[in-house]
Amino acid sequence: MAKESVDSGLTWEVRANSRHYHKHKQKKSFLSIRWGRYADNVLRSYKYSPLTFLPLTLFEQFQRVANLYFLLMVVLQCVPAISSIPWYITIIPLLSVLSVRGLKDLASDMARRRSDLKINSRPCDILISQRFSTAQWKDLCVGDVLRICKDQVIPADLLLLSSSEPHSLCYVETADIDGETNLKYRQALSETHNELTSHPSEETLAAFDGVVLCEEPNNRLYTFRGQLLWRGQSFLLDKEHILLRGTVLRNTEFAYGLTIYTGTDTKILRNCGKLRVKKTRTEKVFNKVVLGIVLSVMLAALLLAIGSGVFSSLVMSRTEVLSSLVVNGNPVYTGFLVFWSYIILLSPAMPIALYITFEVIHTVHSKFIGWDLEMFWQQADRPAQARNTSLNEELGQVGYLLSDKTGTLTQNCLLFRQCCVAGEIYGDASVRAEDMKPMDLSWNSFSCGGLYMSAPGLVEKLRGQQCALSRQFVTALSLCHTVMAEWKEDAPVYQAASPDEEALVGAARELGWVFLSRTRDFIVVSELGVTRQYQLLALLDFTSKRRRMSILVREPEGGLKLYCKGADIVILERLQKDCPYQERIERSLELFAQACLRTLCVAVRSVPEASWEQWSKTLAKSAAMTTCDCDTMLERLYDEMERELQLLGVTAIEDRLQEGVPETIDLLQQAGIKVWVLTGDKKETAVNIGYSCKLLDPDTRLLEWQELRQILQSPDPGVSFFKARQTDMWAEDRGTTGSKTAVILTGPELAEFDQRPEWGASFMSLAEQCQAVLCCRVTPGQKADIVTLVRKHTKSVTMSIGDGANDVNMIKTAHVGVGIAGVEGGQAVLSADFALSQFRFLQRLLLVHGRWSYRRISLFLRYFLFKTCGFALVHIWFGCFNGFSAQSLYETWFIAFYTVFYTAAPIMCVAFFEQDVSAESSLMWPKLYNVGQKQELSSPRMLFLSLLYAVYTSLVLFFVPFGVFHDTAFDFQTMAVTVAMAAMFTANIEIVLLTRFWTKFNIAAVCVSVVLFFICTRITHNSRLFERAPSDYYFLGVSDRAFIDPVVWLTALLTAWTAVLPSMTALALNIILSVHDSHKVHSVPHQPVELRSKLIRGTSLRRSSYALSQGAVPGRLITSGTSIRSTVPTVDEIVTASKNPTDSNGQMMDNKTPKLHFKTV
Amino acid sequence: MVKEVKELVNRPDNTAYTQQRLPAWQPMLSAGIVIPGFVSIGLVFIGIGVALFVTSQSIQVLEIDYTGVEQSSPCFKCSDQTGKKCDCVMNFDIDSLFKGPVFFYYGLSNYFQNQRKYSVSIDYNQLTGDLDYFTNPDDACFPFQNDRNKPIVPCGAIANSMFNDTFQLFQLVNGQKKEVPLDGKGIAWWTDYNTKYRNPSVTPLRNAFNGTVKPPSWPQAAYELDTEDTSNNGFINQDFLVWMRTAALPDFRKLYRRITEGDYASGLPAGNYSLEIVYNYPVLSFDGRKKVVFSNVSWMGGKNEFLGIAYLVIGSLCVLMSIVMLIVYAKFKFPEED
Repeated sequence: MAKESVDSGLTWEVRANSRHYHKHKQKKSFLSIRWGRYADNVLRSYKYSPLTFLPLTLFEQFQRVANLYFLLMVVLQCVPAISSIPWYITIIPLLSVLSVRGLKDLASDMARRRSDLKINSRPCDILISQRFSTAQWKDLCVGDVLRICKDQVIPADLLLLSSSEPHSLCYVETADIDGETNLKYRQALSETHNELTSHPSEETLAAFDGVVLCEEPNNRLYTFRGQLLWRGQSFLLDKEHILLRGTVLRNTEFAYGLTIYTGTDTKILRNCGKLRVKKTRTEKVFNKVVLGIVLSVMLAALLLAIGSGVFSSLVMSRTEVLSSLVVNGNPVYTGFLVFWSYIILLSPAMPIALYITFEVIHTVHSKFIGWDLEMFWQQADRPAQARNTSLNEELGQVGYLLSDKTGTLTQNCLLFRQCCVAGEIYGDASVRAEDMKPMDLSWNSFSCGGLYMSAPGLVEKLRGQQCALSRQFVTALSLCHTVMAEWKEDAPVYQAASPDEEALVGAARELGWVFLSRTRDFIVVSELGVTRQYQLLALLDFTSKRRRMSILVREPEGGLKLYCKGADIVILERLQKDCPYQERIERSLELFAQACLRTLCVAVRSVPEASWEQWSKTLAKSAAMTTCDCDTMLERLYDEMERELQLLGVTAIEDRLQEGVPETIDLLQQAGIKVWVLTGDKKETAVNIGYSCKLLDPDTRLLEWQELRQILQSPDPGVSFFKARQTDMWAEDRGTTGSKTAVILTGPELAEFDQRPEWGASFMSLAEQCQAVLCCRVTPGQKADIVTLVRKHTKSVTMSIGDGANDVNMIKTAHVGVGIAGVEGGQAVLSADFALSQFRFLQRLLLVHGRWSYRRISLFLRYFLFKTCGFALVHIWFGCFNGFSAQSLYETWFIAFYTVFYTAAPIMCVAFFEQDVSAESSLMWPKLYNVGQKQELSSPRMLFLSLLYAVYTSLVLFFVPFGVFHDTAFDFQTMAVTVAMAAMFTANIEIVLLTRFWTKFNIAAVCVSVVLFFICTRITHNSRLFERAPSDYYFLGVSDRAFIDPVVWLTALLTAWTAVLPSMTALALNIILSVHDSHKVHSVPHQPVELRSKLIRGTSLRRSSYALSQGAVPGRLITSGTSIRSTVPTVDEIVTASKNPTDSNGQMMDNKTPKLHFKTV
Repeated sequence: MVKEVKELVNRPDNTAYTQQRLPAWQPMLSAGIVIPGFVSIGLVFIGIGVALFVTSQSIQVLEIDYTGVEQSSPCFKCSDQTGKKCDCVMNFDIDSLFKGPVFFYYGLSNYFQNQRKYSVSIDYNQLTGDLDYFTNPDDACFPFQNDRNKPIVPCGAIANSMFNDTFQLFQLVNGQKKEVPLDGKGIAWWTDYNTKYRNPSVTPLRNAFNGTVKPPSWPQAAYELDTEDTSNNGFINQDFLVWMRTAALPDFRKLYRRITEGDYASGLPAGNYSLEIVYNYPVLSFDGRKKVVFSNVSWMGGKNEFLGIAYLVIGSLCVLMSIVMLIVYAKFKFPEED
């Protein structure tokens, strides 16, 4: 047996109730050596322990090349032979950088620890020594038997053993896993059900000694393979028997499960992806530039060192006063030492202050996001939150937005908004649901609110018994569904597999047709207070192919009626001829579709007794056939029955979008962001949402998999794609068809990409031209794969947005992850980089904060490069005139203060406050966002230009004073002060040219910087400091003379002006040319949103989505009677032994379930 | 209508700063501001340039190279004698009055006083007169720290290499040599003389130097630098101070004396002059040059043509650029109006 299971890949062995056995093999680790097989159920997302914090954080920080570089600098500066700058100039900044960073990491790790602890200490009931005792999640162990109570979150992947419900059914909500809000059914093996529920459960459960053999832990959410060996027998297990961690038990008092996978072995955690350190694109480019600078500095140092060697052998040896200074008389050795001296001297070209300033700016930008009142959601008292404070500029460069649907775009709440009965349209969807004045439904004792449709006319007709059609319409709504009713406090509470159905049945209830309960054979409905019982003859289930469902009932009066609801296309082709009001109903369908409502057609048919009998016989026969033929046979039979329908009306359901979603998507698309929707939900639902949130226009051509595959398989996908678009029936001219194509994919289809990796690139190039891409029925893992696909094949920045645990993986995978916190706060937020409360806040996050951040940070980086390189590279040129001796042209204090006091504040102010256009204009002109997407401000070219400019500046900074001071009586120190003054002026003039937004802080910062230069210089040239430490303050008295010397001033001004002249000219030319440009921009009329979504008359825009999520399963369960409670409280029960003809195929039919009859009142 | 729902604890502050609505001045620059701006800045620069150039032109400068490279030079005989005392005389004429006060510089070229090893070879503590550092000079002075286990005072390469040529200037009046009085006072910086360099407070000064040796290249000890004026000795000797203030670039001048006294207070009258040089300082070995420079000064100090020309060039460049901008502007503006 064991060998077989190894062969079939079932190698994961779980023994029920043998804690000791599994505990022994639990995974453990010590110093990154791991052993053991079974993970424990403890969530560990933290990184540090008290012992490992210091080494780990140092290790991590010194992985940054910059930090390592500065450490090297400090070490070098401690060597007296080469120290061209004192050691304390570098070590203080380095220490502060390390400690600030370390403390920040520690704080975020503590936060992770706290949230872990919260999850790990959730309670659960574990069976220990024949009794269930409350323990915490972290105590759970593989092989434990658990009791899950109603509405509890399931702590690990369990094998369902039995539950409180008949047949050990149980319902789970999987919203956190796949984003679907409807309930799913899970059922225990009938063997375990029978054995474990027949006796007092705790003892039998404790005695349960089955062994589960299954697959190794994996991330496939929708499959499970395994077998249970128990009492010498082997039972096959599949996903129907498994309760996954993270799902919630609903509508079931309690369920018992055997723990199979715990902790990191669970499917949801396997789907979570790794926590990756995210780096922004700008940072990456910048790091390369920094690396380039370091290499160039080394090269320069090398050349200078060679020069030094030559100089010391040629000149110094002959100069009596210098010859004794050649170290050991060896020019090569002198050159070697000078190399390192130059490395130190040129190191300010890449200042350590850059990285710390960079982080400060990021933090302030993140604060701005949190402070923004426009992104504060009053209802939940929750501001936006930047959890990762280093990705701000990435927000200004997003090219692809990959969004979850449920909970992100939609509110996850379906409302019955309109209907059309007998040609009359009721309700008005143009009024927002909140603004709706509720109808007076006080006559209806079952009314519980929640109907956002004002249709007094309909109510009047229904109550006045005037209109048979409308009565039938509501009857159809209350009968034709698979909803379960649960009684709570004398009122039925509906539990539906599909939220659409729940909305429909709920609406019928408000209108007076209250679905009370159902048994296998009967449906009880209170029609305007009159309880009527319909005998359920057949349920013709929904499949995605049929796109309709029907119910065949015998009315209390004895007539047979078939009620059918389904997608308009299927229903309309099955109507009897000359259906009344058909035309008007069809027009209403179009109206509803325009309003982006989900429509369903409702129809009825009276079935003659004779044909029913004939049909049911055939049905029974075909159901007994082998499965393959059975399905086609059933379908043909169903089709036969659903003919000659009489159209009753149309329902229109609003899948409520989050506030402002269509506007946001429209704005983002105008900004050039590609919006993709990735959802675990059904295709129909996704497409409908696509229309209602303006992602798809009514005339958008939908490209589905079959077609797409042909295009991808063709030798030249681009050409085929173009052809495919040309066949577009709504295409008026080529220009408009370009963006009007959308790709719809589903999960299984996406899986094909795994086998055909070469499709990725061509798919992405097609997708680039499409208006939108919708991916439906995708697993969390696939969502992440799609993000990876986009990342791999485009250079754009990707952003993922979602709210549930199923989005965690894609949020982690994308460049930027956004979590929607929503009403109750979401799972996704914990791993997201940014947390928003509403989808619409994306507008501001991207177009305002992102754009500003990108601009500010780009300006900051370029300016920083310019000012530090410009100032440090002077030493290269000076080296040529001082015997390549690594002599500094500046006072050491100036080097230390330059980046901190003289130039830091103004650029910080720019990086904090700069706004090229206001927030309102940013939103008004989404096109402005393109600058970031194209990386126009931070491209390697721009950075290179900044560097070039810096080199020019350094040349000017040296050679203009050189010209002035050459062969004069001015001494070295005066020249040092002059060059320093020029460098300071240059840096400050440049920032004045950069700043467009002069707040009082900017003005103060520039003034303070300039004044600080004079103050600090006076201080370090002070006699009192000199007396304390003569060798540190030997510039004594220089500024006394230099600051009153006109030549010094004139030289500094000339140098500074010459240095900024290129930038000044560029700015001036820019202004002259942009006057023209901006005029152009303003003269182009703004394209109104309405133009794009305008309907084209005369074309069928009808769309209907009939989205019942569970496929055929609920129908099967209903007809087989397994899910029906044995007691229904309010109705008298008369047990009769009536025979149900549809039961012939119900292997699961349970004889114990009482058959119910109801008195017809 | 009191609708105070609940306390909004997390509501961000509504301040100009947090909402990024700080009042700000956004200069709306246009061609109408930029081009005239460029022109006016250019004109200002040209103005300064003209002023500098004119000033510079009015300054008289007389340079005499006495290195003795050419055989015709009177100092040729001294140029090969390294370190030995040698006298030579340079005669020169002045055509018109050399306006006073005349500054007398010596100049060295290809002399790397800014070499790092050289320029750090100094002990500031010792030079402030701290006796602790007399016995124990700083390591930076190496290899001019100790001489045969005796500390060198003043230590270091800068001090050791002090310029030691001396000059005497005579006017030849009717074949008679008339000495031009040279003023050696106050040629050093005030701060150097009063704060940075101090003699130890020991009298007589030479006692402070007990147990120390003079720098190897020096002919006499520090306390004997000026034999005529005893107060001009030790570390506050004016020539020493001038030398210790190192030059920025390999070609430099240093102030030697001023001519401010007697008949020459208003300048050097036209006539024949004779400069008697005590030639001690060797420069030819490293291809260096020595010269003496007579110059008068203006508000901008010595003659400096570069600065004026540079101002003129940059100023003209600005004006030129504004013309280019005007053309560009016209090109972009007018087609639109067609």
